[in-house]
Amino acid sequence: MDVFFQILASGLTLGAVYAISTVGLALVFGAMNMLNMSHGALMALGGYMAWFTMTGLGLPPVAGMLVAVLVCAGVGVMIYLLIAGPMLHSEGFETRVFIATIGFGAMLESVILMAFGPQPKPQPLAVQGGLSVAEVHLPVQNLLILVLAMMLMAALALLLQKSRIGRAIRATAQNRDAARLMGVRVGMVYALVLAISGGLAAVSGITVSSLSSLLPNMGGDPMLKAFIICVVAGLGRVPGSVIAALFIGLFEAVVQYTVGVRFSFASLLLLVIVVLIWKPQGVFGRHQGVRL
Amino acid sequence: MTAMRRDLLLCGLFACAALVWPMISDMRYSVTQTTFFFIWATVVVQWNLVFGIGGIFSLAQVAIFAIGAYVTAMLGYYLGTSMLLAMPAGAVAAVAASLILGIACLRLYGPYVALLTICVSQVLYVLIVNDTDCFTNPPSGCMPLMGGVRGFSRFGDLGFRDWLGAGFYIGNYYVGLLLLTAAILFSIVIIHSPMGLAFRALRDNPVYAAARGVDRFRYQLWIFGLSAFFTGLSGAFYAVNTGVVGPVVFSFQHLLFLLSMIVIGGVGTVWGPVIGAAVLMLADEAMRELGDFRDIGMGLLLVACVVLMPRGLTGLFQDISRRLAKPAGTEGAR
Amino acid sequence: MSDDLVISDLAAGYGHQSVLHDLTLRAEAGRLTAIIGPNGHGKTTLLRAISGLIAARTGEIRLGAERISGLPAEAVVARGIVHVPQGDLLFPDMTVLENLRMGAFLPAAARQERTVLEEVYTLLPKLRDRENQIARTLSGGERRMVGIGRGLMASGRVLMLDEPSLGLAPIVIEQIYEVIAGLRRAGRSILLVEENAMRAAAIADQVHLLDHGTLAWSGTGAELSGRPELLETYLGV
Repeated sequence: MDVFFQILASGLTLGAVYAISTVGLALVFGAMNMLNMSHGALMALGGYMAWFTMTGLGLPPVAGMLVAVLVCAGVGVMIYLLIAGPMLHSEGFETRVFIATIGFGAMLESVILMAFGPQPKPQPLAVQGGLSVAEVHLPVQNLLILVLAMMLMAALALLLQKSRIGRAIRATAQNRDAARLMGVRVGMVYALVLAISGGLAAVSGITVSSLSSLLPNMGGDPMLKAFIICVVAGLGRVPGSVIAALFIGLFEAVVQYTVGVRFSFASLLLLVIVVLIWKPQGVFGRHQGVRL
Repeated sequence: MTAMRRDLLLCGLFACAALVWPMISDMRYSVTQTTFFFIWATVVVQWNLVFGIGGIFSLAQVAIFAIGAYVTAMLGYYLGTSMLLAMPAGAVAAVAASLILGIACLRLYGPYVALLTICVSQVLYVLIVNDTDCFTNPPSGCMPLMGGVRGFSRFGDLGFRDWLGAGFYIGNYYVGLLLLTAAILFSIVIIHSPMGLAFRALRDNPVYAAARGVDRFRYQLWIFGLSAFFTGLSGAFYAVNTGVVGPVVFSFQHLLFLLSMIVIGGVGTVWGPVIGAAVLMLADEAMRELGDFRDIGMGLLLVACVVLMPRGLTGLFQDISRRLAKPAGTEGAR
Repeated sequence: MSDDLVISDLAAGYGHQSVLHDLTLRAEAGRLTAIIGPNGHGKTTLLRAISGLIAARTGEIRLGAERISGLPAEAVVARGIVHVPQGDLLFPDMTVLENLRMGAFLPAAARQERTVLEEVYTLLPKLRDRENQIARTLSGGERRMVGIGRGLMASGRVLMLDEPSLGLAPIVIEQIYEVIAGLRRAGRSILLVEENAMRAAAIADQVHLLDHGTLAWSGTGAELSGRPELLETYLGV
């Protein structure tokens, strides 16, 4: 029974970490059919920015979080202005933006490597200590991540469902031309979506590095997992990807406990393949009518 | 002159020029680097068939290349198979892997294919790197089944060392040239063949093509399998040529480097990938001195090319030559 | 006069293909102007060019004194030209109410959202019943009503309707046209694209016939009814 709760707790924490990194990707794909392959580098950037603000400048944790989010949001806007925006209306946008963001991510990673070096660093934005409830040991950090993820998801849902700008984002995602006819400036929406996604990447980078450590290429694996989750949920389904993230987190915790850490990634992949054969558009996806 | 004849002629000219290159250049470095160019160009020429002609946004080509390399190295290492046998075996294994992958992902929608294939190659990488169980215990230390982080070395070569002595690299050079020439010929034939036509039809008017009985899945599977042969073979040759096969061939940087070649050269053309491979290897060479700035430079180059040259260098050449061919003043007319 | 929509020497198209050329016409304020013509001869392209979804190659579009050609779609709607596109283009995963509220997205329209919403519900009472239904689950006629309602929510100066009867059952078409007739009586400026010439003639103050992307004939609705040979030549009726 203790084992069950232990797996549940670590699975939910994993799921919460994944959810934060996944919704950003899902949001961008949903709004503009763009797979942002530099998301992993943005996560690393966020983690390092928090480190730099706290350890380098000696500022408090709140400032660390804030600087990380703002810098990554700014880089998100930059990605729109320099990469996605100029090619938005041209042929083959989906593949070209995919490739261009791979290049941008590689650049960003190299910059981080040059600036901060290849040695792993501890994430200062972390809380030590643990909580023991009925023989189940829970690090406080994990609880914090869970709460943080829930708050972020709630805030994002509120923004998308209730605010004017959120409705503009959803409208643009559902029908770009119609949104323009309503007076929505889609360029602004895209820049904003990339900024939100960048900010979420920063938080996600901080949480990921607080569980392990800071490395310039630390975003690679979480990004691939986030993509796996996106695929399982159906690309661009934001609420679905949160559910899928929690499910994948639990799945991974179970696999790690029963089969071993080494096979967790491979088993995730197996899961994706099974899902895609069963439902080629993802679990929450809908078949998109192909325009001919 | 038909387009196919022109391309075949160009291919012949290229092969002749490359034949004399080791005789002119007495620098060993430039010859061995050109051999690497042959390998990478072979991979991207075949990748281009899948991506540019077949319209399958697959990122598994690097994994297929690596499978060719690993199977060759493992056959040589564990069974002592002659490289002349191990290389085609590697290529066949690559084809088999590619077909399985193709059946799994070809019915998916574009971006899903990219994500699935990239995940497959990354998982292979992770599985190899994280494997620490010893499969054999040679004097050099524990050896996992797939070589682990270290990879394989000393699994044999093509015998040029015994035959040519210190000049063995020239033997490898000509094998590489043969490989690339065959790959380009194959690409030319595919692009100008009924299959190439079918793919163009599928791209330009899917409904009509489907109505005329063009089965997309079948054609895509064919091109997936066929291109894997040369990709696997180039992986096998890479193993023989370098003498070392490690997980680095699966790495993301490697994938990025090769993908950049196609994109910068021009997707979907016969010569774009070859030109792209040459340009990127030269750029890589030029930036070698830059140290850490090299990776940044490569990333920047890729981003700038994708954003500014949608059809790559070959597209740019076409636009420029068209503009030059046209008398001034008619530019605005279309 | 000040709110007339004036199109002069317009040329527009997609990619290398040119659809409209040398098109000059006027839609007077407070009246219903209908554009008729065979399929594929530029009626929809004209509306898309006016609303800024595609760029005008040459020529000019003005609303009153203001030049609107060259503006992007989001700026054109801010000037008061509201385009209800063909096939509705609803936001499929939003509710009917959310779709309607998107119509009043711009600040000027958002300020009077409540009153206009009441007006729309009065005009299209069915929408009130369907308020919380997801748009993708609506029937074709209901969708069309949401599309028109969403256009009305913008409180624009000119309402452009692209084939509001397309693909609907005859009885639903009657309902839709009653709504349009009501809007006309209320003195709205309407630019209506209609495939069915006789229906357009019955409701329009002014009719323009487009053929091969240019103006072939102009007249009142009554005049069109008296010219059967026109319909035969251009529309094969």
